[in-house]
Amino acid sequence: MVGSCSSCKSGTTLQWAPGHPTFISRVQIIGRNEPVVQVLSSAGSDWTKDFGTGIRIRKRRYITAVSGSGGGRRMRTTVNAAATETLQKGIAEFYDESSGIWENIWGDHMHHGFYEPDSSVSLSDHRSAQIRMIEEALRFASVSDDPMQKPGQIVDVGCGIGGSSRYLARKYEARSQGITLSPVQAQRAQALAAAQGLDDKVSFQVADALNQPFQDGQFDLVWSMESGEHMPDKSKFVNELARVAAPGGTIIIVTWCHRNLSPTEESLRPEEKELLNKICDAFYLPAWCSTADYVKLLESLSLQDIKAADWSAYVAPFWPAVIKSALTWKGIASLLRSGKSNVLYNPINRIFSFILFLVVYVVLFAWILGWKTIKGALAMPFMIEGYKKGLIKFAIITCRKPVS
Amino acid sequence: MRLLTHNMLSSNIKGVTNGFPLLIEVEKVVEKQVDFNEDFLRNMFPKIEWKALVEASRTMGYTELPENAESSMLDSDEFLRKFHHALIELHLEEGALVCPETGRKFPVNKGIPNMLLHEDEV
Repeated sequence: MVGSCSSCKSGTTLQWAPGHPTFISRVQIIGRNEPVVQVLSSAGSDWTKDFGTGIRIRKRRYITAVSGSGGGRRMRTTVNAAATETLQKGIAEFYDESSGIWENIWGDHMHHGFYEPDSSVSLSDHRSAQIRMIEEALRFASVSDDPMQKPGQIVDVGCGIGGSSRYLARKYEARSQGITLSPVQAQRAQALAAAQGLDDKVSFQVADALNQPFQDGQFDLVWSMESGEHMPDKSKFVNELARVAAPGGTIIIVTWCHRNLSPTEESLRPEEKELLNKICDAFYLPAWCSTADYVKLLESLSLQDIKAADWSAYVAPFWPAVIKSALTWKGIASLLRSGKSNVLYNPINRIFSFILFLVVYVVLFAWILGWKTIKGALAMPFMIEGYKKGLIKFAIITCRKPVS
Repeated sequence: MRLLTHNMLSSNIKGVTNGFPLLIEVEKVVEKQVDFNEDFLRNMFPKIEWKALVEASRTMGYTELPENAESSMLDSDEFLRKFHHALIELHLEEGALVCPETGRKFPVNKGIPNMLLHEDEV
């Protein structure tokens, strides 16, 4: 073998062997009959950040396929398990930290509401909009209400604090299993189920959507409501959804995607990638894919009745409303309204105390709620920007698993 | 975690051919009373792996379930109550689920199983 992993600088020639670990990102195949590759660049994209500590760690990429014999052809690489485990940890901790706050203000559904386009909504409309989102998704996928055909076993992939699980279990008088990476969410979900008398109908596990702890073909309805964004390996994610679906069962994926690429595009524009990166960092999201990518994955698994739609217009009021609710957070708002002290009747004092209050508010917010939550909150305007620019799409993709 | 859930969980560790059923290591069992629902039990019965349920309930300290069961037994009220008790009312609060092939333990804390796999098990 010429060259070695640790000296993979540009110009090095390596004999490629399957699974040979490399720290390179661009290679050129120079051999025609033998897989001999030349390293074109050792780019910094091999590094990632541990979300918890901020320490940079090296991603290891493995050459998984050699395609073509032309120059500059990108090798298909896989991000190894260590990077995935830190992402998982980041996701779990993000939700461990922020679930309680969300529930306080928004209730037990941790997903977008479904609104009439260009409508103006008040805070009280959001809960019914979130319910409507569930109903519209079921309708889009043609899930039957008929007692003989309605789902009996449901899996809620990325279940949050179990809002969907409980709603669906109640609606169809079915059993629902929920999985989440966050132990805090799983506990809360089970507690809410017990409080609502659904303890025997729904149960929650801490588990990985990419390795669901269920046997094949268990569920009539496979439900993924705004969890797909967190999956670092979309192909594995979709594979698992299909695996656990029962023959004849329905799969519903509601998720954030980026816009479909045009036939001539190889990737998003640099400024688009930059915007997505900011959001990814704050919300613990891995790389995004497009709606078309999901459709392709479902097609490759021979799933039937594949339908996809762009529902971005129906969720537009959501992020502005979330921002507003964060700014008028109950406790702080009531504190300001209380007007306990006579001192506040003086306008100068009012302005001064308001500024002081804002500073204290931000610091207190960050300290009590945790930096992860703040980071998430600060990224919300980026979501709005993404939607406005047509870069971010709110997508629904549904299909059916063949019966035989 | 009740045995109804246990009946659906399996170990998906890389290399394992049959990760079902998971063995149970008991630290704390709790019995919670739940209203009896005959229709629910009748619907669930064909979907339950009976042997796994019997084994699991014995590990949890309940020995009343018959070794084998057929749907005709659903007509017996006594059978239904035992079925109900084992399936719905027994909870593993603390303990572990054990992969039948590798012996790897999945912890159960406050009734919630943690089925996350480690890096080398994927």
